[in-house]
Amino acid sequence: MAAPHIVNIRELSKVYQQGEIDVTALHNISLDIAASEFLTLMGPSGSGKSTLLHIIAGIDRPTSGSCRVQGIDLTQLGESDLAGWRNQNVGFVFQTFNLIPVLTAFENVELPLLLTGLSGRRRREQVNTALELVGLADRARHLPRQLSGGQEQRVAIARALVTDPGLVMADEPTGNLDSHSAQEVLGILQALSQNAGKTVIMVTHDPKAAAFGTRSIHLEKGELSRET
Amino acid sequence: MTLATFIAKNALRNKRRAALSILSVAVSLFLLVTLLVALRELTVPPEDIGAALRIVVRNKISIATPLPGRQRAIIEKIKGVEAVSPFSFFGGKYGAEENMTFAQFAMDPHLLTNIFGEAKLPMEQYRAFLADQRACVVGQITADKYKFKIGDRLPLTSSFYPNPIELKIAGIYAGSIDDRNVLFHHKFLEEAENTGGVAGTWWVKARSAEDMPRVLEAINKAFANTSSEVRAETERAFQLSFVSMWGNIKLLVNSICTVVVFTLLLVSASTMSMAIRERFRELAVLKALGFRRHELFAFILAESFGLAGLGALVGVGGAWLLYTQVSISKMTNGIFITFDPTPRIIGLALLVAAGLGIVASIAPSIAVARMSVVNGLKTLD
Repeated sequence: MAAPHIVNIRELSKVYQQGEIDVTALHNISLDIAASEFLTLMGPSGSGKSTLLHIIAGIDRPTSGSCRVQGIDLTQLGESDLAGWRNQNVGFVFQTFNLIPVLTAFENVELPLLLTGLSGRRRREQVNTALELVGLADRARHLPRQLSGGQEQRVAIARALVTDPGLVMADEPTGNLDSHSAQEVLGILQALSQNAGKTVIMVTHDPKAAAFGTRSIHLEKGELSRET
Repeated sequence: MTLATFIAKNALRNKRRAALSILSVAVSLFLLVTLLVALRELTVPPEDIGAALRIVVRNKISIATPLPGRQRAIIEKIKGVEAVSPFSFFGGKYGAEENMTFAQFAMDPHLLTNIFGEAKLPMEQYRAFLADQRACVVGQITADKYKFKIGDRLPLTSSFYPNPIELKIAGIYAGSIDDRNVLFHHKFLEEAENTGGVAGTWWVKARSAEDMPRVLEAINKAFANTSSEVRAETERAFQLSFVSMWGNIKLLVNSICTVVVFTLLLVSASTMSMAIRERFRELAVLKALGFRRHELFAFILAESFGLAGLGALVGVGGAWLLYTQVSISKMTNGIFITFDPTPRIIGLALLVAAGLGIVASIAPSIAVARMSVVNGLKTLD
């Protein structure tokens, strides 16, 4: 039996206003994403792949159309509700890691849990589990500057997983990594999809990275061009 | 980690800048407290315990116009009056000094302990003072400053009276609110300067606080329509009439206080804006992770408040410690007798610090509220 769809996008468009000029980032996109899928979004710069990722993650809003994630129409949520929804349902992995430099690896991973009301002991357990999952339990007390790029990105993945979200959104997560670290990170994302049942959506330019996914969607000039 | 640790780590991430910000707030608040206390000391002079029962009677025309000696007996007969003493300013310069550095007043020595009961001196010194018409008593501050001893001579040259005088120190008093003055026999002044029995002012002691209004009115009435009309007023009112001459100084000090607070505000707002601008992308990441606007506001406000609070602790606390533990009278050579950072002044300075924390966080908070997560994240690449 096919997995249920976790994301349903219908006739979605996004138009940015730059001064008096309207720039169409996405045009009439319709797309379904199944639970536990590892979907990669590919396309040239300016094709709208990051915009699509941001709308699915609830950090940007479409100009028209609908985007339902786990049955919730994100366009109907207010800013505060959307922030709460992101905290519980979405994990982010960015190209430049975006760890807070004054916090240790442990504290960076703990950050999203500060909003959950969990006890200190429970938070510590979850953070340790997430760091063990990415193989960095022994680096918990290190500051980001004391870690390699690959390790920093693995801490970022641990931060994305610590709240146990259904969706993991990765925006060119290997863009700043050497090939060995990139393989490690992609392996973790693949395992999250295959073994942990997470839906992973990854933006990438790299066909080798896209090969780790279960499905790849290509965008060009804001429209879906092909699917592989 | 708690939210408080997170805020503290952010606030102290650039330790040099944080230290300089705290220091600038501290120095400015220290200055503010100092100016406010100085202004208070100048405009609200300290009051003796016995001042509540003292009345100063001066010539209605001007304080420089003397009062005839016959008035004393008339005042003494007024109901509610306990004692009346002439009190005349001599205005002498000590020895070879160019300026007058302490005031000298001639009075009735027998009334010293009655009218100015706060001034304490040993009984044998007081007796020696009474016994010798050329004797004087010197306040402790002046005695310490000039290292005067009992028996020392005190040569004085006045700019008001033609003849220089020489007094003999019979006692050193302490315990009044202003232990700087020299007090000597009015009779000696009358004889040395041939004044004809006039007095600069009359200092009157009322029997009770309830008698004060009636005595004041009676004295003023007693000399109405005479050649020497008087103005009788409480010691407090008399002191404050001198304060009115400080009008421009008050305006100047107030202006400096305003400039200090405004500059402090600009410095703090600029520091907070810079600190937040540097962290724009991190704040966008926090938003992406689910932190809401009001939570980010709280972070910024707490950080701004924390820096201002630490500055206040150092600056206001330092001023309070200094002015309560150190003798300002000695430090300023007797210019300020007291320098009391009152709870009101401390409270006002803390209020300024709190306001500073809030106002400095407004602009960065608005910027963060307006920032979309996507735009914030775009600053990454």
